[in-house]
Amino acid sequence: MTGPAGSLPLSTGRGSREATAIVYQELLNPHHAQTYTGRAYWGLFPFAALFVPVLTAGLFVAWEAVVHLTGLTRTTGEFWSVARPLLLGLGWVHVILIFITIFSMYAVWMERKVSAHMQCRTGPMEVGRIQGSIFLWKRFNFRLWPKSWSPHGWLQTLADGLKLMAKEDLIPKDADRWIFILAPIVAFTGVFISFLVIPFHGVLSSFIPADLDTGVFFFAAVTSIEAIGVIMAGWASNNKWALFGAMRAATQVVSYELPIGLAFLTAVVAAGSLRVSDIVAAQGPDYGMLAWFVFRSPFLLLAFVIYFISSLAECKRAPFDLPEAESELISGFHTEYSSMRFSIFFLAEYAAMYVVAAFAAVLFLGGWWTGIAPVDHFLADAAKSDGLLPRLAAVGIGVFAVVGKSMILVFFQMAARWTYPRARLDQVMYLCLKVFLPFGLLTLVGGTAWELWLEGGWPKALLG
Amino acid sequence: MSPELQSPPLAQPRAPGDVRTEEMLLNIGPQHPSTHGVFRVVVQTDGEIVLDSEPHIGYLHRCFEKIAESVDYLKVTPYTDRLDYLASMCNNLGYCLTVEKLMGLQIPRRATRLRMIVAELNRVASHLLAFGTYGMDSGAITPFLHAFRDREAILKLFEIICGQRLNYNYVRIGGLAEDAPPRWLDQVAAFVDFFEPKIDEYDALLSYNGIFIKRAANIGVLPAATAISWGCTGPVLRGSGVRRDIRKDEPYLEYDKVEFDVPIGRGEVGTLGDCWDRYMVRVREMREACKIVRQVLKDVPEGPVMAPEAKKVLRPPKGEVYYRIENPRGELGFYVVSDGKDKAVRIKCRSPAFCNLSVLREIAHGCMLADMIMIIGSIDFVMGEVDR
Amino acid sequence: MPAATTGTPIANRGYFATIWQVARSCLTGLGVTMRYFVRPGTVCTLQYPLQKDNLPERHRGIHFLETEKCIMCWKCARACPVDCIDIEGTRDGEINGAYQGKGVLLTRFTIDYSRCIFCNLCCEPCPELCIHMGQEFDYSAYHRDDVVKNLLSDRVFTKDDKTFVLKAREEAAKLAAAKKAAKAAAAPKPAAPAAPGAAPAAPAAAAKPPVPPTAAASTPPEPPKPAG
Ligand code: SF4
Ligand code: SF4
Repeated sequence: MTGPAGSLPLSTGRGSREATAIVYQELLNPHHAQTYTGRAYWGLFPFAALFVPVLTAGLFVAWEAVVHLTGLTRTTGEFWSVARPLLLGLGWVHVILIFITIFSMYAVWMERKVSAHMQCRTGPMEVGRIQGSIFLWKRFNFRLWPKSWSPHGWLQTLADGLKLMAKEDLIPKDADRWIFILAPIVAFTGVFISFLVIPFHGVLSSFIPADLDTGVFFFAAVTSIEAIGVIMAGWASNNKWALFGAMRAATQVVSYELPIGLAFLTAVVAAGSLRVSDIVAAQGPDYGMLAWFVFRSPFLLLAFVIYFISSLAECKRAPFDLPEAESELISGFHTEYSSMRFSIFFLAEYAAMYVVAAFAAVLFLGGWWTGIAPVDHFLADAAKSDGLLPRLAAVGIGVFAVVGKSMILVFFQMAARWTYPRARLDQVMYLCLKVFLPFGLLTLVGGTAWELWLEGGWPKALLG
Repeated sequence: MSPELQSPPLAQPRAPGDVRTEEMLLNIGPQHPSTHGVFRVVVQTDGEIVLDSEPHIGYLHRCFEKIAESVDYLKVTPYTDRLDYLASMCNNLGYCLTVEKLMGLQIPRRATRLRMIVAELNRVASHLLAFGTYGMDSGAITPFLHAFRDREAILKLFEIICGQRLNYNYVRIGGLAEDAPPRWLDQVAAFVDFFEPKIDEYDALLSYNGIFIKRAANIGVLPAATAISWGCTGPVLRGSGVRRDIRKDEPYLEYDKVEFDVPIGRGEVGTLGDCWDRYMVRVREMREACKIVRQVLKDVPEGPVMAPEAKKVLRPPKGEVYYRIENPRGELGFYVVSDGKDKAVRIKCRSPAFCNLSVLREIAHGCMLADMIMIIGSIDFVMGEVDR
Repeated sequence: MPAATTGTPIANRGYFATIWQVARSCLTGLGVTMRYFVRPGTVCTLQYPLQKDNLPERHRGIHFLETEKCIMCWKCARACPVDCIDIEGTRDGEINGAYQGKGVLLTRFTIDYSRCIFCNLCCEPCPELCIHMGQEFDYSAYHRDDVVKNLLSDRVFTKDDKTFVLKAREEAAKLAAAKKAAKAAAAPKPAAPAAPGAAPAAPAAAAKPPVPPTAAASTPPEPPKPAG
C-alpha cells in the first residue's frame, strides 16, 4: 500500500539516493538539505589545514630573523662562547613551547573535527562565533565573512583548556602525593626534550644546541621518558585501574623501542650518520621526491611502515591505546587526574603525537626538502648563503615542509584512532616481538645490503 | 596469531621459589563505561588474567511483577516498556499477545502487520545499539556513531507513529494505540532501502576488521550444550550454532507467512560460539529483519487497528497463560494468571537477558581483562530487564 | 567484504595470512571512514539551539488541557498508571478564582512530572477529548516541587496555587454541605441522617455515579468503577 496519491512509490531500491534523501531529510535532520552542502563543509578546510605549517613557519622565520639581525651566531670571544648556547637554547625552548601550545590546541580541534566528520557529525561548531562582520563593499552587501559566522568552533580548545584550568585540582587522599604531582611533569619533559633533535629546517646555524651527533640515538632514548611519567602516575594514583594502565604502558612502550630502533637503524645505515640533519641532507636536493628515504628502497619503505605503526604504540594512540583504554580501564593511568595536571598529560600526549610524526617525516619523508628539485636546490644554496632574505625563505619553506609532512602523518594517526578497534595486550606484544622485530631485522639487513649493492641509492645508480 | 595465544591459559601454579604474586579483586561496575548499565562484576585477576568473576545484579530493580499485580491490565503496558528499554515494542507485543491469548481476542490484520513492522524495526534498533556498543567495547568508536545515526532514524519513525522515542506504549491489548500516519510506510520503506547497504559498511568497518576479529574470535566460547543448559536464548544461543528462533518454531503474528533465515553462528572466524559469532548473529539478524519488513510492507491492508472487543477495562476470563515471543535478546515470555477481575493475580516475566547474563561466569574463565569486556558486550544484556 | 565460509577460520590462520588479512581489512576500514570524511552530505547533526527538529504531530510531550471542555469525570486520573494526575473542583456553586470547565468549576488540575511516564494513557479515555500531550519536551527545574504542572493556568504549580487549592477545598466542602443540607430540607423524609456533617457519605450525589461525593478529595483513592 502506498500513502495518499502523489506520494512516493513504496520502495525506491536498495541504497537509492531518494531513500537516503528521505531518511536524512525527514528522519534525521529537517535542515539537512539547507545546511550540509559541500561549500559550508569545506569552506574553512584548506585554511585550517595550512594553519599550523604556516604559523610555525612564521614563528621560526621570526626567530631566525632575530638571531640573524642580532648577529648572535657570528659573535666571537670568551663570553659569547658560553652565553651564545645559553641564549640560543633559551630562545629555542620558547619557540618550541609556543609551537607545542599552538599545535596541541589545533590538533585537539582537528582531532575532534576529523573524528566528527568520519562519524557523520560536525564536531564543535559554536565556540568562537563572530557576530557582526566587516563590509568590504556596502553597496553590494559584500562582507568579509557572514554576518553571524561560526568558523567551525575554532575556539573550542581554548574554552576546554580554560574549563580544565578552572576545575578542582584533586589529589586522592591515599595517593603518593609527590610522585602524583611529579608524574605529569616528567611525562611532559620527556616529550619536550625529544623536540630538541628535530631539524625543522636546513639553516642550522641558529640551532646549534639541537643538532647532536647522536641525534637519532638521543631521540630514541628520550621518547621513552614519557613512559616513566605514565608509570609514576599509575602507581601514585593508588587506583587499580590506573595501575593496570601504568603496567600496560610500561610493557608496551619499552617493547616497542625495539622495532623503532631497528627502523631508525635502517635509515641511519642509508644516510651513514646518526646526526639527524645529516640524514635529512642525504635525502636531497637532487632527484626530488625520489631521494626521500621511503622511496629509496623497499626496505626503507617497510621500515617507515614499521616505525609509523610502532610510533602509534609508543605514544599510546589507538589502536594501541591500552594504557588509557576507556572501555576497559575507565581512563587508565590518568583516571585520578583532573584540572591542570590532566591537561599536562593531554598536552604531552599531543606533543608526543607530533614529535613522532615529525621524526618520521624527518627520517623517511625527506625532512625539509620539498620534493620539488628546483626548490630543493634553492634551499640548499640559501642555507649556505649569508643574505638575510634567502635564509629566511629557506627557513620558511623548510619549516613548512617539515610541519606539513608531519601534519599529514598526524592526520593518519587520527584516522587510525577513529577507525580501528583496540588490540589486546598480548596481541600488541605479539605484533611487536613476533612481527615487527623479525621484519625490522629484515629491513636492517636488507637495507644494508641494498646500500652496498646500489651505493648512493637507486636514483643515482639508475638515473645517473 | 598462533593458536596457543588465542585463549590465555589459567594462571599456572607457580614453582617453589618463584615470585609470590597476589590476586587482585577488581570491581567492574556498577559505574563503568562498558557494563551497559548498572551491572557489577567482581573479578579476581592475576595480572591481566581473569581467574574468576562474580556478577552482581539488582541495582535497577523496580518491582515490575509486583506493580503489574496491582494495576489494571491496560496499565501494565507502559511498565513493560521499561523492562528492556531498548526493545520496548517487542516487550509491549509480548505482554499484549499474552493477554490477548488469555482473552481469545482477534486482532485486525492491519494491526498484526504493523506490529510486525514495528517489532522488526525495534529489533534492528536494538541490534544496532548492541553492534555499536560492542564496537565501542572493542575500542572502535566510529561504528558506534554510525549505528546511532541509523538507530536515530528508527527512533524517529517510532516517534512519528506513536510520539515517543524509547518507551513507546504503542502495542496495546487488542491492537495498536494509533494507526500509522499516511506517509509512515513510505518512510519505513525508505529507511530499509537506506539501511541495508549500511550493513555492508558495518561489515567492512568492524565485523571483518582484522583487529576486531582477533579481539572477538575464540573468546568467551559458549558451547551449545552449556548454552542450552543455562537457558540462553536469542543471539547468544544461536551464536552457539543452535537454530532456535520462536518466530520460526512457534510463529506468532504472521511470521509464518514471511520468508526469512535464522542466522546461526558457524565458527567462521574462530571457534563455534565465540564472541564474534554472537556478534555476527546480530548483524545478520538486522539483514533478516530488513527482509521481513520489506515483505510485510508489500501487504498492509487497510482497516482498523484495534479489536472492537478490547474495551477500556479488561477483565480476562479466569485462567492462566504463558506466551513467548522472540525479543531481540531472546525468548521473552509472560505468564499471566487471571481470576476474572480487572487485575492480574500474577504476572511473571521470563526475561531473556537474565538467563543470558547468568552464563557469564561460565564463559569468562581464564580470559584477559580486555576479553572480559568483550564477553560482557557480546551477551548484550539490558539491566532493566535483568533486574526488572 | 565476503564472508570466508570455508577454509581455516580467519583468526586461526597462519603467520603471513594473518598479517595480510589484518593489513588488508584495516585499509578497507580506513576506506569507509575516509569516504565519510570527504562527503559533507553524510553529516546529520542538527545544530540544536539554532535549528530545531520538527516534532511529529503525535509527539508525547508535556500535557495541556482545554479547560473549558473538561467535565471533571476523573477518567484521565483513573487511567494513569502512576496516579500522577490530581483533579479537584466543584459542581455545587461559585468559588472565587476557580477555572470554568464544562458545567464544573475546576480548582485544581495538576500533573506531577516527577512521576508521569508519558504513556498517553490519560489522553485516550477522555470523553471530551480535552487533555492532550503537547509538543513541549523540556521541563527542567531545580526542585521537585517545580516539576508539578498546573494544567489550568498552564504553568508550574506554585505555592500560591497550593494555598488556593487548600482554601478552595474547604469552600467546596462547605458548598457541598450546604447543598446537601438544602437537598435534605427539600427531600420529603430525611431518611436517618446516617452521615452527619463532615463525612457525607454515598447517597449524596445520586445523579452522577462516578463523581465522588466529597468534592474536596483529591484523586479518589479507589473510585467506584464507571458503569461501562
Ligand atoms: S501520560 Fe501516563 S503517566 Fe503521564 S499523566 Fe498521563 S497517564 Fe499518567
Ligand atoms: S478525562 Fe477529560 S474530561 Fe474527564 S477529567 Fe480528565 S480531562 Fe477532564
